[in-house]
Amino acid sequence: MLAGAWAAAAYALWQSRVPGGLDLPEVDLAGRIDPDVIARSKRYESFFRIEFVVAQLVLIGVLIAYARWGIRFARESAAGRIGTGMLLGMIGLALVWISQVPFRLAEVWWDRRYDQTDAGYVETLFANWFELGAEFLFICFALVIVMALAGRFPRRWWLGAAPVFVGLAALFAFIFPYLSATEPLGRPDLEAAARDYAKQQGIEPVRLGVEDVTDFTSAPNAYAVGFGPSKRIVFWNTLLDGRFSDGEVKVVLAHELAHHSRNHIPESLGWYALFAIPGAWLIAVATRRRGGMANAAAVPLSLLVIVVLNLLSTPVYNAISRHMEQESDWVALETTRDPDSAGGLFENFTIESLNDPAPPTWSYLLFDSHPSVEQRIAMAEAWRERSK
Amino acid sequence: MDDHPVRITVDDDLRRSRLTVFFRLLLAIPLLIWLALWSIVALLTAIVGWFAALFTGRLPEGLHKFLAGYVRFTLHVSAYVGMAANPYPGFTGEPGYPVDAVIPAREPQRRWKIALRLLLAIPALVLAGMLGSGAGGAGGTPGDDSKLAWFTNTGVGGVAAACAILGWFVALARGRMPLGLRDLGAYGIGYTAQANAYLLLLTDRYPNANPEALGPTWSLPEHPVLLELADDGRRSRLTVLFRFLLALPHFVWLLLWSIAAFVAVLANWFVALFRGRSAGPLHRFLAAYVRYSAHLDAYVYLVANPFPGFTGAPGYPVDVSIGPAESQSRWVTFFRVFLAIPAFIISTVLNIVLLVVGILGWFAALATGQMPTGIRNLGAVAVRYLAQTNAYVFVLTDHYPFTGPALRAPAEPDMVVAEAAA
Repeated sequence: MLAGAWAAAAYALWQSRVPGGLDLPEVDLAGRIDPDVIARSKRYESFFRIEFVVAQLVLIGVLIAYARWGIRFARESAAGRIGTGMLLGMIGLALVWISQVPFRLAEVWWDRRYDQTDAGYVETLFANWFELGAEFLFICFALVIVMALAGRFPRRWWLGAAPVFVGLAALFAFIFPYLSATEPLGRPDLEAAARDYAKQQGIEPVRLGVEDVTDFTSAPNAYAVGFGPSKRIVFWNTLLDGRFSDGEVKVVLAHELAHHSRNHIPESLGWYALFAIPGAWLIAVATRRRGGMANAAAVPLSLLVIVVLNLLSTPVYNAISRHMEQESDWVALETTRDPDSAGGLFENFTIESLNDPAPPTWSYLLFDSHPSVEQRIAMAEAWRERSK
Repeated sequence: MDDHPVRITVDDDLRRSRLTVFFRLLLAIPLLIWLALWSIVALLTAIVGWFAALFTGRLPEGLHKFLAGYVRFTLHVSAYVGMAANPYPGFTGEPGYPVDAVIPAREPQRRWKIALRLLLAIPALVLAGMLGSGAGGAGGTPGDDSKLAWFTNTGVGGVAAACAILGWFVALARGRMPLGLRDLGAYGIGYTAQANAYLLLLTDRYPNANPEALGPTWSLPEHPVLLELADDGRRSRLTVLFRFLLALPHFVWLLLWSIAAFVAVLANWFVALFRGRSAGPLHRFLAAYVRYSAHLDAYVYLVANPFPGFTGAPGYPVDVSIGPAESQSRWVTFFRVFLAIPAFIISTVLNIVLLVVGILGWFAALATGQMPTGIRNLGAVAVRYLAQTNAYVFVLTDHYPFTGPALRAPAEPDMVVAEAAA
């Protein structure tokens, strides 16, 4: 019955505005984008594929070692059961952070070679410390909840923990727009378009902002955050620096609005809930032979389980994400009725961000949270055909 | 205990002449001028001595004697200006002053240590700057505008300087220097003398910040808040590397606890004012908070190794024992905040010392897996003082925080375990 409810919920969340049986036409990429640029983007992205695989292997290796020997760090604690668990969780994160430092530096090196960033190596190292501190706090908070529940309900803690984490994720998704630093957009044309598009998509106008990212990247981007009264659309200033036409920026605007009008953020929380419950159960099962999550000795193993589960679920999450992005692309086309700008935008992503327009299938399934540039251009063409 | 060849002696009866105290800085002007001139010559001599020692492996006899006199004279002037001693010092740096330094005879030194002396001395000079003499010092010369030299030379913000300022008021009023302020000032000045002796090639033994290794046996009067030190000096490099980040959940918890503690302190103040002693539950709650703060200070600044608990339960390797609620003077309770101002000043300075201990200890522990005993013990003294200040401000006791650098009462071990017995 639980499986049936899970499947029914998943089916409900999977519903989309993209017409069923939509055939995407073949796209002549070489005719639209300079072949040298395509070759360059393939070289650029191939590094990240290899780097990701190696980084994950190193990460899992480190966590296997930590799961095996990490309990030794318990002697560094005078903090009792939960406090020791918190320490072991933070040390695990610290080891993960250390193991990933070479890869972060390699990424910066590669980005600098392809003019995708001006960030320095030292700056990259220190820029992550604040983020790491937030992660330390988060894992402590999470372990307090899990270990306290596991202390009281050793075998059923996951039933209580999963809803708590879903609630926290929802809370974070709601308040995130209030925490991030953005500037007012200052573009009356875009603000007017936003009001118009919101009306077309059947929602109230959404607040727009700009985030200055020039210190760490030149890649263009925009994103939708928040839900209910905290809804926001944030443009990176790299998208508004003149490299993209007004029509292209409006396609981005309509796309991000579609995330709100199609309730993608609440839906993402729904998907998270669907995965959190079996995920918490798997952690509970996996850590039983270490005394369960009530025992600090189980914390290093639980980190390994979380990372492995996360890695295994990445293709599924990416498939869900691509499904939502595809829907937003379609709604954006219906809103702007401008497939030329949409096509131009996606072409520009390859030129400016060096997105491989047609990545290998295995890479696409494993890594890509958005449809490929080729698919997005094809969708714009499909919409053009349908609208005739 | 590690006996350092440069030791200080304290033979001071705490009595001060009010007249010379009042005019102390003016009286010191000739001494300071003479010290400045001597510093210039000492700098030149030290440079010559450095080349000579580099070739021969030891300082020439004459230079050793001259620089030893200079270090002693610096210490005498510092002690006089810093209120750690009463008589007007001589101008030759001859031994025999109430706060004096014992400088070892010249001895062979390793050449690589001589060659790198200035670099090696930097951590000691930074610490000497914090424990500051408030007067001279060989870390720099007049006119040398490097920040390190200025910091070390002047001792601005230093422990000894704070002791001197507070001691000036007390000595003027009572004709006596408080024991704690005198001892802490003498300790700071003494450490600076060790750093100077090291820098000037009088010894190749690194300065030792351990108060117990400086020479005098510091006294520790009876106090309901005492330090309990059971740390073995071992440090986990990984937790040292991420120490500050690992302490983040504790900072959050301390913040939350502090809000409750603030309310409890107000309530405790009213209770103590009317009853003449603090209420049992409030006393226990605030004592746990004081212990927890001490554990956290010790952890963050590497004075202790293990991740502390969140309840302030006794048993941490750097712990404070707090006696049970006792009767307190209502007058002292009523004026507690104002009376605590000098303790706040010393606490502020010792907090900065703790920070320096933490930074220097971080590098040392990361490299060796051990916290140097000297700075660990200095940090422990600071933790003890901060806990005593908190206990005083929170109306847990009306015993004033003791400023001296003693870790434990040497001849009365029962005092240390008084809490356990209680």
